[in-house]
Amino acid sequence: MPFISNIQRQSDFNLIDSNTPIVIDNGASYFRIGWAGESEPRVIFRNIVQRPRHKVTGETVTIVGDHDPALLKYFDCTRSGPRSAFDSNVVYQFETMEYILDFGFDRMGATTEIDHPVLITECVCNPVQSRCKMAELLFETYGVPSIAFGVDVAFSYKYNQQQGVCAKDGLALCPGFNTTHVIPFVDGEPVYEGCCRTNIGGFHVTNQLKQLLSLKYPYHLARFTWEKVEDLKMEHCYIAQDYASEVRLFQNGAMEAEGKTRYWQLPWVPPPTDEPPSEEEIARKAAIKEKQGQRLREMAEAKRSSKINELENELHGLEFLLHQLEQVEESEVPPFLAETGYVTKQEIESARNKVMQSLRKAKGEPKNEQAETEKDDLATSEKYSLINIPDDMLSEEQLNEKKKQLSLKSMAEGRQRLKQKRYEEELERERKQQLEEEKRLENPELYLEQLHARYKDLSERVDQQKRLKTNGGSSNGNNLSSGIGRGERLNAAQRERMRLLTTAAFDRGKGEDTFGARDEDWQLYKLMSKDYSNDDDEEPDEDEVELARISSRLQDLDPTFIPKLDAGTTQPAEVPRFRPLTKEDFQIVLGVERFRCPEILFNPNWIGVDQVGLDEMAGVSIRRLPYKDESLEERLTSSILVTGGSSLFPGIVERLEAGIRMIRPCGSPINIVRALDPVMDAWRGAATFASDPQFHMQTFSRLDYYEKGEDWLRKYQLRHTL
Amino acid sequence: MEAEVVEAELVLPSYLSFKRVQMYEKYPKGQARGRHWKHLKQIIQAENYQNYPPDEPNYVNIESPPSMHPCKRICDITGYEAPYHDPRTNLRYANTEVFKIIRSLPNEYVQRYLALRNAAIVLK
Repeated sequence: MPFISNIQRQSDFNLIDSNTPIVIDNGASYFRIGWAGESEPRVIFRNIVQRPRHKVTGETVTIVGDHDPALLKYFDCTRSGPRSAFDSNVVYQFETMEYILDFGFDRMGATTEIDHPVLITECVCNPVQSRCKMAELLFETYGVPSIAFGVDVAFSYKYNQQQGVCAKDGLALCPGFNTTHVIPFVDGEPVYEGCCRTNIGGFHVTNQLKQLLSLKYPYHLARFTWEKVEDLKMEHCYIAQDYASEVRLFQNGAMEAEGKTRYWQLPWVPPPTDEPPSEEEIARKAAIKEKQGQRLREMAEAKRSSKINELENELHGLEFLLHQLEQVEESEVPPFLAETGYVTKQEIESARNKVMQSLRKAKGEPKNEQAETEKDDLATSEKYSLINIPDDMLSEEQLNEKKKQLSLKSMAEGRQRLKQKRYEEELERERKQQLEEEKRLENPELYLEQLHARYKDLSERVDQQKRLKTNGGSSNGNNLSSGIGRGERLNAAQRERMRLLTTAAFDRGKGEDTFGARDEDWQLYKLMSKDYSNDDDEEPDEDEVELARISSRLQDLDPTFIPKLDAGTTQPAEVPRFRPLTKEDFQIVLGVERFRCPEILFNPNWIGVDQVGLDEMAGVSIRRLPYKDESLEERLTSSILVTGGSSLFPGIVERLEAGIRMIRPCGSPINIVRALDPVMDAWRGAATFASDPQFHMQTFSRLDYYEKGEDWLRKYQLRHTL
Repeated sequence: MEAEVVEAELVLPSYLSFKRVQMYEKYPKGQARGRHWKHLKQIIQAENYQNYPPDEPNYVNIESPPSMHPCKRICDITGYEAPYHDPRTNLRYANTEVFKIIRSLPNEYVQRYLALRNAAIVLK
């Protein structure tokens, strides 16, 4: 991480002379506070406040800046995110600002009222409301004796001027966190008449990167936290010399592009690969299986034998009973049978038959079908004994019986007929096959050719039918957007249904209503029903059956034949197939994004901000200057300073030079330098400025503030050269 | 509160000796305060810049003008140069492969891509 917060509490607050001003660089991203005359700020932290709830005690606490995320686990941060006091680059939430100042002064080691003059930075042309509120806060709450407001860009430019980086006439280009400013300097003084602001900055770059990555990798959304993306931006983003040619490298997949692509490998554990089991393992498993099979077989065998045993016992019992029955007198039968639970001899016999049958089945003896049918034949006359007797010779009961027999007989006959038909069909098919085989043997090439032709013909016909059925889908050429939207056409079947519905709604009532006179009329409702499909899906089309037959035949005969897949019905293979996740799925690729995101500094309209980019801003700024002086313009362009957090991107100086050269007259001198430390120079410049003995002339006290009023504060402006 | 949290001085104390007015005095607990700040737009409105001479720099008139250069159009998905524009989704695209992708994108994603360049449909 390039910027690290420095929030150690300072111990020497009370040792410092009360005339030494406190210098605050109140930037939208970082808050820096320290003593005038020193080279480094004492305390630096991110300019944000969180108000989470403590998980155990439930009290709302205030946390300023960013801290070790490990410590934040004790707090419930889901209710409120980090808040900033800034709207764009203007402070608007002074409650948040107060928390930040509290934390800043606390870490500076303050214990008593702040008895030091304060120099605090603000944006260019800060609205007077914001400035008033800030002054009020410092005076009333902290008891600051006097305040000065300055512009961070100006301090940065002045600091670099003192270090000899840039001249007293020049331009300061400052892409910051929320906004980008260009300020011209004439004779070492910023000329705000000539300055301009574009509402774009590092925040937008990070946000763009974050959005693009989360759209590109929706599965890794949780990885793209603001802090992480900010780090990615700092580490990998750069500014292309020429966006169009740079992006073409990537588009054409050049080797250079490969070298410029960065990969972020997310932690990924490969799934355990199942090794092929060893011989021993296989043998062991087989043995176990065999054993289990053996046991099952044994169990089945035991069950079977016990069943046979049981059945045999039963059979013996029944036979014995019958035997006994023969010896019993006719008149004695009922009392004799009463004990056994049977009523007649026939009943016992049928029970014996049943047992015998199941015994035969249990023993696995093949049923003698022939014998059975013969027996059936024999039984037929017995079974349907009543059919041939005229009705008037039968009693009521017998009539019923006759009806039953009649239906049974017709059913049996129907079965027989079906069997016969199937047999005949089989014969026919065999005959056909034989015929075809003969043809094939006669002239194999011709036969194959014919088959192919027929296949083609049929498949086309089937395809067309399908298309008709699902009309619209493939005919309007964009299958890609699946699902029928509002503007999509209905298919043929649906159209037909709509037609029926409308005719049904409007035709009725005209003339004589004969609907329902014929049975076919009622078919209409079937056609209208929503889930009625025009063809009977249960039995496929003749053509389709034939097609399937031919294609299977072709597959047998022609090894080169590949059956055409159902192109009409399958969607183009856009649907991701399930496959095991690989290392590549856990890789975040930063290719074009590396320079696409910072490019918005030069092309703000890419994110919908209709303003000029960084390079054109320089031209705008020069044009806005009140004096038209060519030598001054040349002096300005020969000392251009880039500062601010977003000027850290590699390549920005070269790109700016190319861009500014395009908008300036041919041959004008252009010299662009980056600030010594684009991030810290504003504070250093302010600290140097505040250590000047003349500084107190530029501050205003609480008394001034209340006496001179708002209008005076509106005009208040720091002078950098005294 | 946990020892490590206390040690890191993570939490801003509610009483600070250097302040004249403490936070809890300024904003007493349990009192509804409503929204007590103005957004930047409201601040600018209240500044009444129209009452001041137009050549005097202020927050509004230092804004940069729109660009004079023709806008470079880039593919919303890949960032390549985009010669084409899909009238159905309003996305810009570079070639047929990207077109396939944008036509298979669910509407939510299309809107998010459009939102990146502030062109999404916003229902109010």
